[in-house]
Amino acid sequence: MSDTASASHDEHHNLIVDNKKLLMWLFLGSDCMFFGTLISTHLIYRKLYPEAYDPLTVFSLELTSFSTFILLMSSFLMALAVSAMHKGQIKSFRRNVIGVIFFGLIFLACQVYEFAHFVHEGLTLSTTTFGSTFFVMTGTHGVHVAIGIFWLICMYFYSHTGKMDVHESAVDVEVAGLYWHFVDIVWIIIFTAVYLIEYI
Amino acid sequence: MSDPDYAPLPVSPDTDHSEENERYHTFVNLALALSAVTGIELVLVYLPLNSIFITTVLIALSVFKFIAVIAWFMHLIYDKLLLTLVFGAGLAIATGTVIALMLVMSRSYVDFDAITAF
Repeated sequence: MSDTASASHDEHHNLIVDNKKLLMWLFLGSDCMFFGTLISTHLIYRKLYPEAYDPLTVFSLELTSFSTFILLMSSFLMALAVSAMHKGQIKSFRRNVIGVIFFGLIFLACQVYEFAHFVHEGLTLSTTTFGSTFFVMTGTHGVHVAIGIFWLICMYFYSHTGKMDVHESAVDVEVAGLYWHFVDIVWIIIFTAVYLIEYI
Repeated sequence: MSDPDYAPLPVSPDTDHSEENERYHTFVNLALALSAVTGIELVLVYLPLNSIFITTVLIALSVFKFIAVIAWFMHLIYDKLLLTLVFGAGLAIATGTVIALMLVMSRSYVDFDAITAF
């Protein structure tokens, strides 16, 4: 690499960490606050109005556990995709990303099925405080998952253009991976705080 | 002529992948551990044990899963300390907000009748 190209490369990376990664971690920190308020709002209304709705009449722990398992495994595949990209193994990267997209779509399908079931049982966004906070919180998470899937689909097709550079693309994939893992950790909290806690 | 779709990306021949290979085994072990913990959580809620005990264990297991994903899958333990501090700051504010709201917005502090009167 020439000196000019090297200097240009350094302009986009400060000396401590990559700027893209730093920005993503900053975004994830702020998203923590966003989901923190959504989850606490749900828990507070659940505590203030315990008689508003009995979620055990509609919850299916088997389905939610399956969704959780699927999301955890998608995180595993995402970690493998990032690792493959660092090693420059484009075929392995594509295989793993397809797996992540597939698992993400299964998770979304489970959520759509769950929402449809709840609405069929009479629980909507406007019927009770439980419905309002539950749909807003899990719906926001679902939107995050959908954005992540769209991002990964774009990345998959971009990998076929032949324009991928091993350093830049590895960072881009890692940033997308951070976002995907964050979606997973938010669900880990929702699974315990919203679903499992109701069964105790 | 080779197919550009399936050509490996240009990587320096002296690139050391041993670290990435080690991480692969870490990722596999972690995925198995996370699945096992989720299974334990699932069984735990059906056990006839003290509810405070079960709640405490569930929170502890969730925190373990949360930290494990951040540390290994998100590479935070392999990355610079600055990234941990940046994310930790957001996480600390979020956790503080949740705890504060949960304490303040309880029946003992909120005039519940005044709210429901409307």
